[in-house]
Amino acid sequence: MNGDMTPADAIQRRQFIKATAMAAATAVAGGTVSPLPILADEPKKRIEWDKAPCRFCGTGCHVQVGVQGGKVVAVAGDRNAEVNKGLLCVKGYHVGSALYGKDRLTKPLLRDGDGYREISWDEAIKTIADRIEAAPERFAFYGSGQWTIPEGYAAQKFMKGGLSNNHIDPNARLCMASAVTGFLATYGVDEPAGCYDDLDACDVLIMWGNNPAEMHPVLFSRVVDRRSRGEKVTLIDISTRRTRTTEACQHYLEMKGHGDLAIANGIAHLLIKNGTYDRRFVDSFCSFKAPDDENPSLHGKAISFEEYKKQLEPYTPERVEELSGVPADQIRMLGDLFGNPALKITSLWCMGMNQHTRGTAINSMVHGIHLLSGHFGTPGNAPTSLTGQPSACGTVREVGTLSHALPGGRDVSDEKHRQQAEGFWNVPAGRINPTPGYHTVKMWESFCTPTSQGGNIGTIWVQVTNPGQTLPNLNKLFNPKGEDKAGLEDKFLIVSDVYPTATTRLADLILPSAMWVEKNGVVGNSERRTQQWFKLVDPPGDARDDCWQTIAVAHELFTRGVDGMKDRDGRFLFEVKDHDKPVPIWEWEHYYDVNVDEHLFEEYRQFSRLKHKDLAPYSEYVKARGLRWPVVERDGQWHETHFRFSEGSDPYVEAGKEIQFYHSSTHDDRAQIWFHPWIAPAEVPDDEYPLMLCTGRVLEHWHSGSMTRRIPELSRAMPGGYLEINADDAADYGLRNGDKVKVESRRGSLVIPVWIDGRGQPPRGSVFVPFFDETMLVNDLTLDAIDPFSKQPDYKKSAVRISKVS
Amino acid sequence: MSEVKTSRIARFVAVAVISVSVVGYFTGLHSPIPPRTVPETAPVENEETGLAANEAASVIPATSYSGMANATLKRHQHMQFTGLKSSTDPLAEIKIESNDKLAALQIRQQNRAYNGAPPTIPHPIDQRSDAACIACHGEGARSVSLRIPRMSHAVLTNCTQCHVENSPRHMMATVFRENVFSGMEAPTEGPRSFPGAPPQIPHSTWMRSDCMSCHGYSGLHGIRTTHPWRSNCTQCHAPSATMDQTLLAEEPQFLPGPQLNE
Repeated sequence: MNGDMTPADAIQRRQFIKATAMAAATAVAGGTVSPLPILADEPKKRIEWDKAPCRFCGTGCHVQVGVQGGKVVAVAGDRNAEVNKGLLCVKGYHVGSALYGKDRLTKPLLRDGDGYREISWDEAIKTIADRIEAAPERFAFYGSGQWTIPEGYAAQKFMKGGLSNNHIDPNARLCMASAVTGFLATYGVDEPAGCYDDLDACDVLIMWGNNPAEMHPVLFSRVVDRRSRGEKVTLIDISTRRTRTTEACQHYLEMKGHGDLAIANGIAHLLIKNGTYDRRFVDSFCSFKAPDDENPSLHGKAISFEEYKKQLEPYTPERVEELSGVPADQIRMLGDLFGNPALKITSLWCMGMNQHTRGTAINSMVHGIHLLSGHFGTPGNAPTSLTGQPSACGTVREVGTLSHALPGGRDVSDEKHRQQAEGFWNVPAGRINPTPGYHTVKMWESFCTPTSQGGNIGTIWVQVTNPGQTLPNLNKLFNPKGEDKAGLEDKFLIVSDVYPTATTRLADLILPSAMWVEKNGVVGNSERRTQQWFKLVDPPGDARDDCWQTIAVAHELFTRGVDGMKDRDGRFLFEVKDHDKPVPIWEWEHYYDVNVDEHLFEEYRQFSRLKHKDLAPYSEYVKARGLRWPVVERDGQWHETHFRFSEGSDPYVEAGKEIQFYHSSTHDDRAQIWFHPWIAPAEVPDDEYPLMLCTGRVLEHWHSGSMTRRIPELSRAMPGGYLEINADDAADYGLRNGDKVKVESRRGSLVIPVWIDGRGQPPRGSVFVPFFDETMLVNDLTLDAIDPFSKQPDYKKSAVRISKVS
Repeated sequence: MSEVKTSRIARFVAVAVISVSVVGYFTGLHSPIPPRTVPETAPVENEETGLAANEAASVIPATSYSGMANATLKRHQHMQFTGLKSSTDPLAEIKIESNDKLAALQIRQQNRAYNGAPPTIPHPIDQRSDAACIACHGEGARSVSLRIPRMSHAVLTNCTQCHVENSPRHMMATVFRENVFSGMEAPTEGPRSFPGAPPQIPHSTWMRSDCMSCHGYSGLHGIRTTHPWRSNCTQCHAPSATMDQTLLAEEPQFLPGPQLNE
């Protein structure tokens, strides 16, 4: 694998060889044993530093990566990065170790009876091509918010532009689909208007079902550190359990599951009742909407202000207290805060509001109270949703690797959008299938249903994610694949990953992938910031880039004459030219002859204009620590946008408009303020299953833990899964720390040790289990009920019972 | 009659006592409270106290009731009263041998993935509050047997964001996935322009802006400054612009020299 040695490596290696040769020659000539010349030592000693965004969450911190002798040896916070200003969290500081787990996958493996045999890449690529060629419409691609933008874009083009197949969906469906539908329903276009700068300016920060002290620690520190500097900022935690975040907050509002729907309505009720809503803002920039029960759609039906007011009438603070469990006085406090125009209020949320069977509703409603109160569009006034993956925004939402989407905010069901995409891809008209494909839950349900019973997904290729651990209700959506009598013998699971996981456990073909700085990459974080990095070290063994894997399969199909892999002119769909000469990038030895990322990114960039999410040329991102779109050229310079829809910041807002929602779903530059009623969770505790189970993450482990559990510092600090329980409940059940309990839901069961009032403190009647431990799969218990619009499941509210295991 | 009664009472008391102690003994055996795990690394002698470094660096656990009779007061055992004066005088000259330095660097390695990584915490912590961290580590302290490093950076109030426990007390875990990451080593000395010149700072000073955290009173002996009475470190020891990520022009520019005519 010398093909992609960087010039600096090559020089160092040459110097080393030269110096060693000279030393040997001297030793022979002089008859003495000379010490190794200094030069020989140098290539090992010199540490080269380069920038990269952190591999883990959606915050998008930049790190400085120290590389010595072809290995990552150190990491430092990047002081010149605006996101993190030199600070990291414990995962970020140890991200370098994620590459060096001893059990990295290094060879393609094909299932052979109960075990696997090593095969060549050639055979692996041919195996995948065989499966696709035999039944292209039964093939599905299950991707990730950890796909880099070029990886996701290549998969998207391969599926929709090549195979005319829309069965491509990402794990981000499980993570932020409701945030997307919330933005679309409110502003007509996806992604936050504000950015992290709001955290430096806000007077009040409200966290809705969010624990940033552990999950977005760098952003949390950005706020709490302001207090160390003597600034005053009020932190409010609206949550179903006490967490590390709670400890730093002035107010803790403990709610029951779905209490957020009532709280948001309670705030709106008070704003109107007290006359403290921002009449001018609402009259100038907003309209009102409510769900259309007869004809449900994401855009509902228009209602008048009077109707809106009437619908809110029942949500008095006392009624909200009944529904949410939050005392009426605290609802009044929130009403007063939002009613005070002098305060700058920022809302943050993540999985609490997204993993919610009314996720679209609660997302829209929180936007709604910000709009109703005019806390929008100026620094510090913003409703901002956070993402959990490094490119949930960049790759999933912007590239549109969802079953219904095309790049740049387009839909497969829109004829004009299809034509535009076919134009950019230079594929024949009509190539793109107008029917949306299967969303995540449907895709896996179909895969786990026998073909004879209508399970019409036969092959799934999984890249950069771990559905065998993270899908809800695993006993329905994943585990049947491994069962003897499931009738799924004809189903084939392909998994590209870097380590063995709960997913590779049932894979028929395992492909070893390169990760993070073992490849080039571009990602997009929570605040619309697009970030780029270069490959710094080689992947181990035969591990190769995911993007290369996709292109190699596409080319194999191309050589077999599959029409979909040809463009209008009969050329390969992923043809890359260097000085007018096509480069065989499907051959691994030549993959790094050109910068494939740059080629794909430049092609993708054309898509970004439609929704005014303009991206700059690749070379601009090389120079920057990320740029927030729209990035627009003025006077030969590329300028990023801090606050979208705000005059003076967003270049697409017309002069004199102040605020302009220029992608309004009602085409009148207005945002929609939604009313949604409170609705009970899909499952609530009863006599049989008396406890409410919430799942989530911990500081030390990132999602399914496949990387972080291989990092000694993180794994030692948080070795395994546990059930968090209230001390009084524990006493009732006769439980002590370390006791094992059996947790059962209607869907599965799990044995797990108890930690009383551990990292967090759940209230009576509820328990919490983190999902990072692959040996204690809490998703055997979770519910697969989904939000009607976003199709995102609710991982936070499943009824369970527990019993002590002796 | 009364004798019979007394002996019956005595027998009853004896049975009660024995059964309570038997039950207590077995309950104790089955107690889920995990024993304190000792790190696997070989103990390194602490240069000052003679205690194993792991022991000296960690909080000494309370003696159990059963162990009371044989307990020795560990900290006093190693008291060296002759050395007390020099170690409590913050301004006394410090003599350091090269072996001391290597030993200190080795101790540092035990709770850092690489030089510059945030150290892990060698003692139990409060899961949800940072006040306790800052109470001790805000100023730092040192006794003969216990060293409390002072924060090397300005006060940041979310300590556990970067610093995590290095052996968890709430779960008994001994098996982990192996990892072959080999971290950047600590420099043994900074470059000097000539023997006797003050060395430059050989590491980044980012998040390590308080030199005295490691090189001062609460630091390990082997890397302490030899001249603690001087307090303006960067007056003589220059930091590195590259390591500190200072944004400078990539190519420094210079005026051309005088042009010599032929």
